[in-house]
Amino acid sequence: MANQLEFILNNLLPLLIGFPGQRPGGLLMSIILAVVGISIGFGLAIPLALGQRSRFAPLRWACSLLVDVFRGLPLILLLVIVFQVIGSGRFGFRLEPRGAALISLALYSAAYQAEIVRAGLAAIPAHFDEIGRMFGCTPRQRFAHIQFPMMVRTMFPAFTSQAISLFKDTSVVIVVGMSELMMSARILLGNDINNAPYWVSVYLTVGLLYFVAAFALSKWAGRFEEKQNLNNTVNYAGQ
Amino acid sequence: MASWLTPDMITLLTRGIVLTLIVSGVTTVGALVLGITAGAGRMLGNPLIQRLSTLYIEIHRNIPALVLVIFWAFAVPNIFPQHLRQAIFFNNAFWDGVSNVIGIPLPYYLFAGTLGLTLNTSGYLAEQFRAGVSAIQTEQFESARTLGATRRIVFWQMMLPEGLIVAFPAIATRLIHNFKNTALLSLVAVPIFFHGIQTAISKTFRATEFLLLAAVVYLVLTAVFAQVLRILEGRFAFRQAHG
Repeated sequence: MANQLEFILNNLLPLLIGFPGQRPGGLLMSIILAVVGISIGFGLAIPLALGQRSRFAPLRWACSLLVDVFRGLPLILLLVIVFQVIGSGRFGFRLEPRGAALISLALYSAAYQAEIVRAGLAAIPAHFDEIGRMFGCTPRQRFAHIQFPMMVRTMFPAFTSQAISLFKDTSVVIVVGMSELMMSARILLGNDINNAPYWVSVYLTVGLLYFVAAFALSKWAGRFEEKQNLNNTVNYAGQ
Repeated sequence: MASWLTPDMITLLTRGIVLTLIVSGVTTVGALVLGITAGAGRMLGNPLIQRLSTLYIEIHRNIPALVLVIFWAFAVPNIFPQHLRQAIFFNNAFWDGVSNVIGIPLPYYLFAGTLGLTLNTSGYLAEQFRAGVSAIQTEQFESARTLGATRRIVFWQMMLPEGLIVAFPAIATRLIHNFKNTALLSLVAVPIFFHGIQTAISKTFRATEFLLLAAVVYLVLTAVFAQVLRILEGRFAFRQAHG
């Protein structure tokens, strides 16, 4: 038991931030991957969702098709496709595992977030938009000042649960050899038969790290939401 | 017939698809049973059972499916010393006998992977079931109790069916996710469809062809699965409305 604890404590740093002298890895890299993936995904999700509401039918179909395809594929398959097909050099460029992982995570989360944005837009009462129109706002102004702020509020819970989900999904990027928490654990244990007794404690630690990060984020989101609701109530009551 | 899709490969991939469907079915049933049990425990149990159920749910929801799969497949056998490990997990006489009788290999990794996925999905389903039940007005349950229904009847005939119907859309989404997650078992050497695709690529070096084939197969299967769930949902809703 004492050796187990010693082994974990000696190797906690690689699990948290990666091996010294190498690129960052461990939990830190998992978090970075998730944050960047979600941010790029959000940027892609808005045009995808707006495209699905477009009056121009081909654009609507194209956006729906993209969303359905990226939602219908397992992430692990998407990663391998981006890495081995798109990034194989066939199209004139090679993708490193890092690039492939980021592109896949961004596309995958974009598809899920597009659905959230679409639901968020659909939940905005039509008269808000009509009021904007009465004041002579352009479609762009109506989106930026009316739809977008309201949408962000209504979609906050779905958005955070998607973010947490994507954070956990980053564990899958091990399939293209990207260095993050899962990969750090794998490298740490290696093929050394002497490390066999430590497998359980290392993976328990990995599980604990994912758990702490995901659980803390969901608790924080819950509290933030409560506060937001309270603010809304106060605002509406005050008006 | 395309030159890369030889009969050998077709057999390999068809077996993979069948195994994917079996694993997906087993995890779906297992996760529903465990999830409803844990969800009910969190709602209705005594304080100790409530705590334990909450712990179970939060652990399995907040740890990635892949970590659970690798933990049960690769880490757990390492608790035991070498000779015991072989006897328990890899050359188990009982399971070898079973697999001889039914003619399907049953490696330990298949069990471990299926267990990992089941636990992960059950955590989500437990919360969705609980949310479904709490969306029903509690007066219903209270009036049933006043009319003399036992707690057992209230659970089996009211909470369970109605909670499942209310939670059905969320549960369906999670089950589709679970179906896609079966591809993770390829990382623990289970000859699931995605593993078959990787084997085929390493034999033929035709990555593009096989990966696009895999994409088409997955899109068709998820679409069919989603459609089946939608039909089921319609049925349930109909039964609900018409007694």
